[in-house]
Amino acid sequence: MLRSYSPSEYLFFTAAVFSGLLTAAVFGFLFFFGLPLLQSGQLADVLFSSWAPGKGLYGIYPMLLSSLTLATLSMLISFPISLGCSFIITALAPLRLRRVLLALIRVMTGIPTVVYSFAALFFLVPLMRNLIGHGSGMSILTAAPVLALVIAPTMILFFVNSFNKVSPRFTLAAEALGCSKIQKILYIILPQAWPGVINGILLGFGRAMGDTMVSLMLAGNSTAMPEAVTDSARTLTAHIALVLAFDFDSMEFKSIFVCGLSLYLLTALLMLLFRLSTAYFSQAR
Amino acid sequence: MRKTIESCITFFSWGALFLLLMALFTLIAYLIQKGADSIQLSLFFGDTTPLDALLLRRQVFDGLFPAIAGTFILIACSMLIAIPIGVAGGIYMAEYCKGKLKPLFNLTFDILAGIPSIVVGLAGLLLTILLNRHFPRQIAPCLLLSCLCLALLVLPYLIRTTQTALESIDPLIRKTAPALGASRSQNITLVLLPHSISDIISGIILATGRCAEDTAVIMLTGVVATAGFPRSLLGQYEALPFYIYYISSQYTGPEELANGFGAAIILLLLCIGLLGLALWIQRRFTTFLLFR
Amino acid sequence: MRKNSISIPLVTITSVVVLFFASWSIAAGDISPFDQQKGTLRIAGGTAHIPVMKEAAKQIINYNPQIHISIAGGGSGLGIKQAGEGLVDIGNAGRKPSDQEIQKFDLQLLKWAVDGVGAVVHPTNKVQSLTSTQLQAIYAGKIGNWQEVGGVDRQINLYTRDEASGTRKVFWNKALAKGDISTKANVVVSNGAMKTAIAGDPFAIGFVSIGHIDKSVAPVALDGITPALTTVRSGEYHVARGLYSLTKGEPTGLAKLFLDFLVSPTGQQIVADKGFIPVK
Repeated sequence: MLRSYSPSEYLFFTAAVFSGLLTAAVFGFLFFFGLPLLQSGQLADVLFSSWAPGKGLYGIYPMLLSSLTLATLSMLISFPISLGCSFIITALAPLRLRRVLLALIRVMTGIPTVVYSFAALFFLVPLMRNLIGHGSGMSILTAAPVLALVIAPTMILFFVNSFNKVSPRFTLAAEALGCSKIQKILYIILPQAWPGVINGILLGFGRAMGDTMVSLMLAGNSTAMPEAVTDSARTLTAHIALVLAFDFDSMEFKSIFVCGLSLYLLTALLMLLFRLSTAYFSQAR
Repeated sequence: MRKTIESCITFFSWGALFLLLMALFTLIAYLIQKGADSIQLSLFFGDTTPLDALLLRRQVFDGLFPAIAGTFILIACSMLIAIPIGVAGGIYMAEYCKGKLKPLFNLTFDILAGIPSIVVGLAGLLLTILLNRHFPRQIAPCLLLSCLCLALLVLPYLIRTTQTALESIDPLIRKTAPALGASRSQNITLVLLPHSISDIISGIILATGRCAEDTAVIMLTGVVATAGFPRSLLGQYEALPFYIYYISSQYTGPEELANGFGAAIILLLLCIGLLGLALWIQRRFTTFLLFR
Repeated sequence: MRKNSISIPLVTITSVVVLFFASWSIAAGDISPFDQQKGTLRIAGGTAHIPVMKEAAKQIINYNPQIHISIAGGGSGLGIKQAGEGLVDIGNAGRKPSDQEIQKFDLQLLKWAVDGVGAVVHPTNKVQSLTSTQLQAIYAGKIGNWQEVGGVDRQINLYTRDEASGTRKVFWNKALAKGDISTKANVVVSNGAMKTAIAGDPFAIGFVSIGHIDKSVAPVALDGITPALTTVRSGEYHVARGLYSLTKGEPTGLAKLFLDFLVSPTGQQIVADKGFIPVK
């Protein structure tokens, strides 16, 4: 810090600080608009009551619960699948197939979520309606597999990446001792790379929480407390998209800032955990 | 016993892969089966003649032309804003940032990358409302606002890809020019950047794909159902992803629905095309995908 | 017999020709104020209005391509607020804004159509008539199975609109007598979405603007009266409302021309074509 800045360095520094400030500015905006609510001491009401504007209730608790349920459920579906796929891409498949699969998974990350949701809306929803036997077919259970499909490529790539970082010294030694491919993964790679698996889960969960289109189009958007996964439900992100049609001064509008704030803080927390665990595990090694 | 578990896991892994690919191909095949027939000239231009539409003589109704144009302009403007800041920020992170500042910046950009897109859109909308209070009737949700928000959305990816591209340069190459007397900025502009340009470009293309597909941000910041070709940055506009969402909820008949499927196929091709381009330019680019 | 069979096509052809020329000449007259105009007009709000807005915009732009019109949905609540905040030139509302809203934003109202809001079910549903009490109980969640109202033994899938919806407000006021709407109801965001949802769900019940009712959904008679244009016009079906367009202060420029066009004979013809009741 003692040496003087060159002009170009100053420029680069400004860009970085500017980007950093933007992160804070987004938070500041949400906080500023949510402030009247915080000051009036209604925060607990908003966080822990239900949504019934007709009765003066502006709570987001059902949405918070739905968001967490949907994200967890889609993780439960996506995690084992992603782990299995990453085993295959890391070692189980023949080399040429591995390359093809990896390229395919990469391409999958580029498929727009709105396209997935659009296809699922007309394909999966009628299917689920018949399968569940009651309800409209739009439910947490309908949205979860689609969301799982959306987050799977991210997790697979993260897993594969951390598996590949395991030093070849170990894997080659294992192979020389006559380890099969699956033994190599289970007893050599996985014990070394499990911090990467945890980080992949954190990132996947963050993506699942933050997605809007899948839940908006497929989960049904009812404001009731979800009692079963076959119930129609509304997530925090969908709530922001739906309630926007309100008076900028009204309670409804203010409560969606609490939604925005909760989402911001939740994802920030996940990222903090991610960074901390990365730092912790790299030190431990 | 151990053998049984091992073969179970092997079997399960193949099953998982099969399930994932089945789900993917089922949805895409369904999309193509429903939408392939709708891909013809009228999908793009409605009942306006293509020439009139392309020369902007007449606003197109019930066609994708304004939405495609809107998406392209959206991408171009957002990237124009985001690239200089993102690349400069990435250079700072890789080449200059040291000490305690680095983990702080790292965390900040991670958080920025993690903010759900709808929250970014919400922040943009708030900005508009604030501005509107001060300049009544002049500022409204518009194309420029969407571009600013999308730029914010992709900024962390640009910073990250640039940073990673520079950091992964071989120390031998990194140190040669300074050893021969080149200044730090000469080293960056003449050696390091050209050396990592393919990684940086593929990062930029991936960010472009993200701009093209995002629906939540633009939903809150000025995209509308019918607007025609975007004529001004301060005007409202149409875009492909929003068109798909709009049709999914508001279609009035089988023709409009078929248009929706057609639009979904086109957006899919656009995004896969961009991704293919990025793959072609640079084979190894894990960072962006990991942090998106 | 023979005479008849010739005269019918003749009459039809003549009347079509006459109508064509009549409407063409009227159209030219009604739309001519848009000569020499250029600029952009922003419209947002009520989703029931969209088909009329789109058709009117199409005719105006075909007449004068220098004009650009953007149309967004969002619901009546959004239309009122956005017009009030000056974010759009014309805000649409499917309900009358409250006096407080009119005063706060200095809104000017134009009512250009009358519309009814009717309960709808899937066309295959046997239950196509309900009493007010039954409908209210269904929406409150007290009746949860079609069997209880004479249908098959399947759960009733409730559909409602978001709270910004004017359609919802009118239906809630006049058909549900401000009774509860179960929070378990699926929420959709537009009249079009409602129709889509009901058409795709054999055990659904929802409500749409009468202008949106077509073969894909079946209207449910309320206390014996089927929601339709005729019953709304005669006053028998009471779940009705005006369709409004709002401006902040007196409309000026393109907004004024657009609103004038809506209440002109051509505009009112569009209103009728799209299934609403013209005011003139």
